[in-house]
Amino acid sequence: MSKQNFVDTLRQLGINPMAAAAASVSELFRMPEDQLKEVKATLIIDAFKHHYDNNPYYRKACQSKGIGRDQIQGFDDLIKIPLIPIAKFKSASSHELLSKPLLEIEHEMRSTGTSGLPSISRRCSATIDVAVTAIYAMYREFLGISKGAGLYICPSTEEIPEMGMIKALNMLAGLLDTHRFMVKEERFVPEEAIAQLKGWENQFTRHIIGPPFLIYRMLQFLKQTGQTIKLDRGSRVVTLGGWKRFTGQMISRREFNLLCEQYLGLEPTGVRDIYALVESNAVAIDDEHQTKHVSPYVHFSVRDMNDLSKEVPDGEKGVLAILDPLALATPGMILTEDIVALVPGKSESGRSGQRMEYIMRAPSSLEFGCCAVNLEKKMDQDADVACPVAN
Amino acid sequence: MFNEIIVKNFTEPTFASELDEANTSIEIGNPVCGDRIRVQLSIEEGYIKSARYQAWGCATSLATGNVFCGCVNNKPLGEVLGTPTQDIEALLGELEPAQHHCLDMLKAMFEKLRQAHALQH
Repeated sequence: MSKQNFVDTLRQLGINPMAAAAASVSELFRMPEDQLKEVKATLIIDAFKHHYDNNPYYRKACQSKGIGRDQIQGFDDLIKIPLIPIAKFKSASSHELLSKPLLEIEHEMRSTGTSGLPSISRRCSATIDVAVTAIYAMYREFLGISKGAGLYICPSTEEIPEMGMIKALNMLAGLLDTHRFMVKEERFVPEEAIAQLKGWENQFTRHIIGPPFLIYRMLQFLKQTGQTIKLDRGSRVVTLGGWKRFTGQMISRREFNLLCEQYLGLEPTGVRDIYALVESNAVAIDDEHQTKHVSPYVHFSVRDMNDLSKEVPDGEKGVLAILDPLALATPGMILTEDIVALVPGKSESGRSGQRMEYIMRAPSSLEFGCCAVNLEKKMDQDADVACPVAN
Repeated sequence: MFNEIIVKNFTEPTFASELDEANTSIEIGNPVCGDRIRVQLSIEEGYIKSARYQAWGCATSLATGNVFCGCVNNKPLGEVLGTPTQDIEALLGELEPAQHHCLDMLKAMFEKLRQAHALQH
């Protein structure tokens, strides 16, 4: 059966092909590479046609580039799909991005970067239905969490209900037995976090979850006060939100791993970083070798920085373009401002699909960092009061 | 999620543009979520000849900018400044809890207009 037939057959059975793919992450990662590419291309082409048919702004953008509705036929044509620059999501004309009426929008999520302008991502019910399945499936595949206690070193969704980073991390809490948010009113007290971890000892498998810089603060506090904790068999440190501090300093992943090993008793295989963007439903999550795997139904196209119409070979740095077939309310064909490289060769973990390495935010970007950087800046203003040691 | 007033004003943003002949400008920002509305007005002899806005943020924020401009455009300034609070509160219709910050922004825009007017006189 051809892949287009697979989509048509599922539709005839009343099954949403995208939902079926989102729920079959493990199976897709174990598909032969060529077959996975075909499945992915079929879903992306389907989404492209949806936006072309329903979004006048996007259709005009396609037509201005000479791309017709039926010109994208297979995997090799994906590079021709016109992209929406990510800055459009924070423009005063972001309403033009809607491929569905506002009445069908169920959720607005935002990321307030360092420019001060929020990037607003709108999702309809159909997108949320599939995205929830997709995110949980990726969490299950790479984090393997189904129980335990989560020490969230970030603010709660109650404090920042619409912020994408927190929303994504909070979804993990649904898999846990208990959790606690340790940043309140932009203040983090490491002593309280450590006391909570000790309180859960021998009761729950303990996981630490949050943006790297905040977990790094706790690790620095442990180091400076000479304390160590031994986390549990199956514990994870899960990070999301970038590795650059508001000062411009990069947090070294190697140093972070060493600190986790030395002060939390956790081997690097237990440290899993997540790459995600609020504007997309794609995620890339570390496997046990700390290599990030891209959601298998999403295509990451790494473009030449000097000619964005061309892709660079795997292993070379370029600007990330995302083709996300889950997004139905707004086009999921996005040109990001992130510099990445795709990892060449075969995966050590045996999975098919793309693997990526995040390099940096593009120098031309108006955004220095994501909402996590903003949060850190605010917290740092209060740091002398909250904690004179950990910085 | 969105009431009819928000849908109409978001979908048909009649007043969304910049105003070259503006002589008064007010800007409201929500420090928590980052939403921002900038309104430009052309006021002559106690009359708001035209009002235009630009907004960044959620759909309700964008609609709020249009609602405000629709309410003040082509109106005597005195009449606008005398808008009763309960009338302002009704302008956006029934909102979900997560949209209530936009009502605060709307009230703040009327207040900023009062302040701007007071400064000029």
